[in-house]
Amino acid sequence: MQSAVEVKGLTRVFEPKKKKEGKSVTALNKVDLRIESGELFGLLGPNGAGKTTLLKILSTLLLPTAGKAFVAGFDVEKDFTEVRKRINMVSGGEISGYGLLTVKENLWMFTQFYGMKSSVAKQRIDELLTQFGLADKKDEKVRTLSTGQRQKMNVIRGFVTDPEIIFLDEPTLGLDVNASRVIRDFIVDWVQAKENRTVLLTTHYMMEADQLCDRIAIIDDGRILACDTPENLKKLVKMNRTLKLDVTSLKDTSKFGSIAGVEQFTFQDDAEKNQTYLKFILTHDSAVTDIISEVQRKGARILSLQKTEPTLEDVFIKMVGKGFE
Amino acid sequence: MAVSHDLRTFKNAAWLGWQMEANWTDPFVFATYSIVKPVAGSLILVFMYLVITGGETQTPFFSYMFIGNAFYMFVAEVLFGVTWVIHDDREHYMTLKQVYIAPIKFYIYVFGRAAIKIAITTVGVLVTLAFGVIWLGVEIDLGAVDWMVFIPALLVGLLTMLIMGLALGGVTFLTAKHGMGINEGIAGVFYVLSGVIFPITVLPEWAQSISYLLPVTYWMEALRRGLSPDLMTSLSGATGLSDFSNLEILLTLALSAVAFLFISSAIFRYADKTARRKGKIDWTTSY
Amino acid sequence: MSDTWLITNLRAIRGRAYPRVIGSKREPSWLFFDITLPLLTVSAYAYIYKYMDAPPEFVGFVILGGAMTAFWLNILWAMASQLYWEKEIGNLQLYLIAPISRMSILAGMAVGGLFMTAIRAAATMIIGILLFGIALSFAQPGMIILVFMVTMVSLYGMGMMFASLYLLLGREAYHLSNLLTEPVYLASGLYFPVRALGFWAAAGASIIPMTLGLDALRQLFYPSSGSEYGFLPVNTELAILAVLCVVFLWLSKYSLAYMEKLGKTTGRLTLRWQ
Ligand SMILES: Nc1ncnc2c1ncn2[C@@H]1O[C@H](COP(=O)(O)OP(=O)(O)OP(=O)(O)O)[C@@H](O)[C@H]1O
Ligand SMILES: [Mg+2]
Repeated sequence: MQSAVEVKGLTRVFEPKKKKEGKSVTALNKVDLRIESGELFGLLGPNGAGKTTLLKILSTLLLPTAGKAFVAGFDVEKDFTEVRKRINMVSGGEISGYGLLTVKENLWMFTQFYGMKSSVAKQRIDELLTQFGLADKKDEKVRTLSTGQRQKMNVIRGFVTDPEIIFLDEPTLGLDVNASRVIRDFIVDWVQAKENRTVLLTTHYMMEADQLCDRIAIIDDGRILACDTPENLKKLVKMNRTLKLDVTSLKDTSKFGSIAGVEQFTFQDDAEKNQTYLKFILTHDSAVTDIISEVQRKGARILSLQKTEPTLEDVFIKMVGKGFE
Repeated sequence: MAVSHDLRTFKNAAWLGWQMEANWTDPFVFATYSIVKPVAGSLILVFMYLVITGGETQTPFFSYMFIGNAFYMFVAEVLFGVTWVIHDDREHYMTLKQVYIAPIKFYIYVFGRAAIKIAITTVGVLVTLAFGVIWLGVEIDLGAVDWMVFIPALLVGLLTMLIMGLALGGVTFLTAKHGMGINEGIAGVFYVLSGVIFPITVLPEWAQSISYLLPVTYWMEALRRGLSPDLMTSLSGATGLSDFSNLEILLTLALSAVAFLFISSAIFRYADKTARRKGKIDWTTSY
Repeated sequence: MSDTWLITNLRAIRGRAYPRVIGSKREPSWLFFDITLPLLTVSAYAYIYKYMDAPPEFVGFVILGGAMTAFWLNILWAMASQLYWEKEIGNLQLYLIAPISRMSILAGMAVGGLFMTAIRAAATMIIGILLFGIALSFAQPGMIILVFMVTMVSLYGMGMMFASLYLLLGREAYHLSNLLTEPVYLASGLYFPVRALGFWAAAGASIIPMTLGLDALRQLFYPSSGSEYGFLPVNTELAILAVLCVVFLWLSKYSLAYMEKLGKTTGRLTLRWQ
């Protein structure tokens, strides 16, 4: 099947405005990437990593310095008209349109640039406004909207033209929990509702990437450091899962170390409180059940249980070498 | 303490004004730019005059028209300059909000920026007058200038314009994109009714009675009387203000400045309050 | 395929024209100024002519010229600098990713601007005519309309070209527009017959479509004044204007394509000013 996005050796260098001042910036450095049709794909990276640059190249706003990029099988450099027919783009915090138009008029205007029939466009706009809980604002002037309402409108602007591939550059930037959730839920539903719909989004929110994306590419300094499902990415960090248990006093702990999937086992008795603390480092989740039954077999009761897993943030810190936000 | 603070605001604003007015290009381009516009504006009148009279510019009416047109630049530019500060900040850079919430006296900021506008306009006026005197025989004799009339007239008149500009600037808070139109409109009214390029006596009666209420009418008359006393004697009777002595004219001008000071600050305060009430301060209205 | 391409682009033009048309309806406060402002200048100049005992058609000349300033100001402030502001707002990149001809965006801006300005200019003219009791000749209505249309297409073609070129400018854009007022009024003879400038100066000024368009309209509205105050015969002027039409439309398409290419290469076209 046709890849939605295919990028080969993509490099983008920004030259300084005046030759003497400043040096050139390599925003993208030999990037290879393939996004299949139907994927919800996330780009994760620190500020200045090159995310927006990549989206601009894919949306035909910027030319690569070297390498190739294909969207829906079309070369963004040569067949940009074909690409444009199939895409749309939304950026977080954008203030698109004209403040004195109403929300509905503004959205309608943008559909006209895609040649949509007015009646079809208006109907679809109404549906989307309702889905986003913005229906009561449709006749308000755009300039009176709050940031969140405005961003919902922007997202609608991107989806209303029913693109095959949509580029979302930090779509939930600066939004509250509710507004973000409305937008996230919509994105997920949208990709799943029809085959061959593809989303490429950038974000700074780990949770967002983890929850939404089928696959994630971690990008830093113009290079893709890793690209995989969130699950697999987390496996990359050698930070192990740990299990900590507080149990009522336990005398015989000899069996715990030999349970399959347990890599390391330590314990500590607290005679005063009549408790025992157990700590396991696991290589396999299946060990958890065995450990618990072993505790019960020895006639002890579990007082508390704590399991830790690596997060995407751990992956990110490991890859990029610095924290986030 | 407060005064030095205000002074600093004024200086900073003037500096900012200079950056915005002049720092976009090298001095040569800027000088050309500052001169081409006013000279072209005057040349429109010159050609209008030439088409009808067929070539003779050494007439009292030509000098009357030319001098009035040159000084009118102050009217247009100062009114425009003060209002533009407010408009420009709001429409294009959205800094008005920042300026607004900053603890400085807003009008000092505006005057500071307008001061630069006055300085630049002064150059334009001087160049235009020099051009007229040298090439077109406009009647100004530096030896004959009545400085005691000219200097006070110039200063009081400029102050009046600044104060009016502020009032109009307040009004732009309330109006849309072409709020700039208001002060162009007021400036235009002065152009027609204040005897700038033709004596008010050619206007219909009802219009003349308005002319007598406009400070610019007296300003233009006073400036001409100061700058070219002989010219005004030769036109005596034609300008419609012959009944006023020089002192009377200056006093009328000063009085109108005071009156506008009160009117302006009232309008500005009202406009400012309304703008905040309606939440319009940081609106942009481009489409 | 080419049929849907046409319809798509026509829709795009309508889409972009819409905010302009609706805009002046939403904010009528300045419609008033757009009509009265030119009238004030026109009145001032009309009184000068009256004071000098000029032939009566001169007041008519001035009114026509005053109406023309509305179009020129629209070109400068709402066409030339528009793409630049669209870039600042962030709209430009959304226009550029749309599957339409870039010319449709400019054409939409032009159509919307022209439509609204025409209403204002007409109002200015009608009030001026009534105020000063002018008698215009409508002996050749077809020619009047034709000359007007050709003038407008070439004038807005010029505006579309400016729109792209202004993208190269930053803060200077404002100054350039500001500069292109009085000198252009002078060169195009908005307030006096352009012939007064002398043949070569008038010929040079004819690159601005307003110059010949206005001169031709004056001759059509005052048929007897042509021989004394007209610059070139009306038919010649019309022919030159038609050429200007093609030239400016082509140049605007070319310069826009050039700007887009430049922007895609340097990455500055979608960069906001900060
Ligand atoms: N038009 C441009 N001209 C010059 N340099 C640019 C331009 N656009 C981006 N850059 C540079 O390229 C690098 C990548 O920028 P980009 O906007 O792609 O980062 P990003 O990953 O989107 O960052 P953020 O998370 O902050 O949005 C940065 O160093 C930036 O300064
Ligand atoms: Mg970015």
